[in-house]
Amino acid sequence: MGERILLVEDDPQLGAQIVEHLRSAGFEPTWWQEGRHLTPEGLPGVSLVVLDLMLPGTYGMDMLKTLRTFSEVPVLILSARNDTLDKVRALKLGADDYMTKPFWPEELIERVRARLRRPTLQKAEAVVEVGVLRIDLQAHEVAVQGQPVELTRVEFALLAALARRPREAVTRQWLVEHVLDPEREGTERTLDVHVSRLRRKLGPMHGVETVWGVGYRLVPGDGS
Amino acid sequence: MKLRLRLALTVTVMTVPGVVGMGYFQHSLRQRGQEEVLEASTLAQMQAGERERCEASPETWTVRRAPPPGEGRSLPDEPGPPREPGPREREPRTDGKPPPGRGPERPGRSPSRVQHFPYDAGLVSRNPRAPVLPEALLRGVRAGQGVVIHHSTQAGRPTLDVLLRMPWDGGPCAYILARREEPRSPPLGGMPPPELLVVPFFAALAVVVALGPVIRRVRKLTGEVRASAVSRYQQPVSVRGNDEVAELARAFQEARAEIQHQLSQQEAREQALRDFLANTMHDVMTPLTVLQGHLSAMQQRLGRGEPMEPAVMTSAMGEAHYIASLVHNLAAATRLEAGEPQFQRAPVDLNSVVARVIGRHQPIARQRRISLVSGVPEAPVWVNGDVTLIEQAVSNVVFNGIHHGREDGHVAVVLESTRQGRFRLRVIDDGPGIPEEERARLLERGFRGNAARTRGIQGQGLGLHITRHVAHVHGWTLTLQPSEYGGLEVGMEGEVSRR
Repeated sequence: MGERILLVEDDPQLGAQIVEHLRSAGFEPTWWQEGRHLTPEGLPGVSLVVLDLMLPGTYGMDMLKTLRTFSEVPVLILSARNDTLDKVRALKLGADDYMTKPFWPEELIERVRARLRRPTLQKAEAVVEVGVLRIDLQAHEVAVQGQPVELTRVEFALLAALARRPREAVTRQWLVEHVLDPEREGTERTLDVHVSRLRRKLGPMHGVETVWGVGYRLVPGDGS
Repeated sequence: MKLRLRLALTVTVMTVPGVVGMGYFQHSLRQRGQEEVLEASTLAQMQAGERERCEASPETWTVRRAPPPGEGRSLPDEPGPPREPGPREREPRTDGKPPPGRGPERPGRSPSRVQHFPYDAGLVSRNPRAPVLPEALLRGVRAGQGVVIHHSTQAGRPTLDVLLRMPWDGGPCAYILARREEPRSPPLGGMPPPELLVVPFFAALAVVVALGPVIRRVRKLTGEVRASAVSRYQQPVSVRGNDEVAELARAFQEARAEIQHQLSQQEAREQALRDFLANTMHDVMTPLTVLQGHLSAMQQRLGRGEPMEPAVMTSAMGEAHYIASLVHNLAAATRLEAGEPQFQRAPVDLNSVVARVIGRHQPIARQRRISLVSGVPEAPVWVNGDVTLIEQAVSNVVFNGIHHGREDGHVAVVLESTRQGRFRLRVIDDGPGIPEEERARLLERGFRGNAARTRGIQGQGLGLHITRHVAHVHGWTLTLQPSEYGGLEVGMEGEVSRR
């Protein structure tokens, strides 16, 4: 069973659609069709709340305010009014994110996932494992499928920079500025040379991906 | 009520009481004079020898000397000064005549006449013709008054009775009643004479006549104001002279200018709104029609049991996406045109803006087989601004990149912050790009209106216009240049807020 998600949405069609999409994405949604007074007992094991701001009965903001008095569960706001004041107020009241209608179901699922993923990401970990790579950021050690790999200082710094934010693209400019030796002349061309050397050392399942127009990112390598 | 009638009535109402009051005042003054004269003359005559005659024959005594003061002339005349008790040597002509009291009245003249009757201390007269004293006189005597005055009407004639206690005691002539009978007077004896009543009439007439030109001018002004209103206040009214009517005309001229100003402003607003609505209808209805067409085609294929056409599906989703983007842009345009008060400035995390924009367009990019990627700094980049507008600005550039991109193409959003406290946000694609002259035109100020809405390859559309405007109100620079991959690179640069 997936994580429980509370959906508060008054529109029956949109509500049913969202429930369907959440379910097929592996979540376990609970759907409230009207605003209700929230109590700590009313939210058993809910890991995320999707809250529509325009609800009959209770104004969504009031629900958010009440919720925040006793719970830190992530809240994703849905709003048809693309209004800055609403957004600013919602964020001040403790909402974590908002979506403006219309949105694609994929977009919603992606945002829910991102929100649920976030807390684990924020911990600074000493050891990062991505695919077959194991990177010890403190001991400056790298292993592929358990086999240690020798890297130069710059190569390790490059891999570590990507490993700190796995799956996220890191811009070439940032890498040039933060990874390359400031004493020597560093250009994006130099960076590319370091990347190709790193890839060669890590083997076919290196996972260091070129991101078109942006830079590089580290993903679980599949050997392709 | 008409102005003239009202003023005439007012003048009449104001003057009539004045005239009547004056008449009444005059009347009472004259009455007072008569009383005093009668009293003084009676006393003087009695002391000048009439006492002896009276006491000698109280039954038949009358004052010897005739015309008593005030006799013989009409009412308005002030009674003459009391006559000096005439020397007895000048024998009056009335001697031997019947007493004036009962004498035949001279026809036509209706003179006033005075009679005297003696009374003793018990107020009983030996003269058989003496009238019974009215109660009012008796009361006055009993109250100890030396002179008692009483007005009454005897046989239709106003009568003045003055009862005098003589300066001696006893005898048949201790009291003398002097009775003066006025000629018959019209009712309301206190009324002013008719010639005085003409005054209000003439005053009212004068007002009516004097008002004539004023009324004519007011009527003319009224006509002009009405005509002006009919012409939607285009037609002016004439201002002549320097009085209150001219002042009114001038005030109307000022009001007319103000109304014209407001009207033209309102008309401009209404025109803008009508244009906006018409354009919006066109902009939204066209993609909606395409979407309906796609849905209908899909439904027909389903009905025939044919497989779904991925291209139709993709296009349908693209239209829906376009409609959403358009409505957001129209809302943003409305706010931008309304000006500064509509902006809500607050700290905005550009990293999450980029994430949201990518999320919004990813499903469509994926369908069009366009790789949509982003790279942002690890730490959030904060700027101060309106999050809705900023997001829309970035979204428009990304939308254009996807919309004009080719299959298996790329769109990348790169956010960087510099050490100088600035940020740089670039949207890079490998699409067809935009020729240089077109790029310059797109960034021109005032490039707006229908040309900006054109959907198609040459118009990056309303979207880029909004982006330019948003960058402008946030003090950012917006650049368009060819990307190193052959497509377009749109750059936004601005200051990072301290947080």
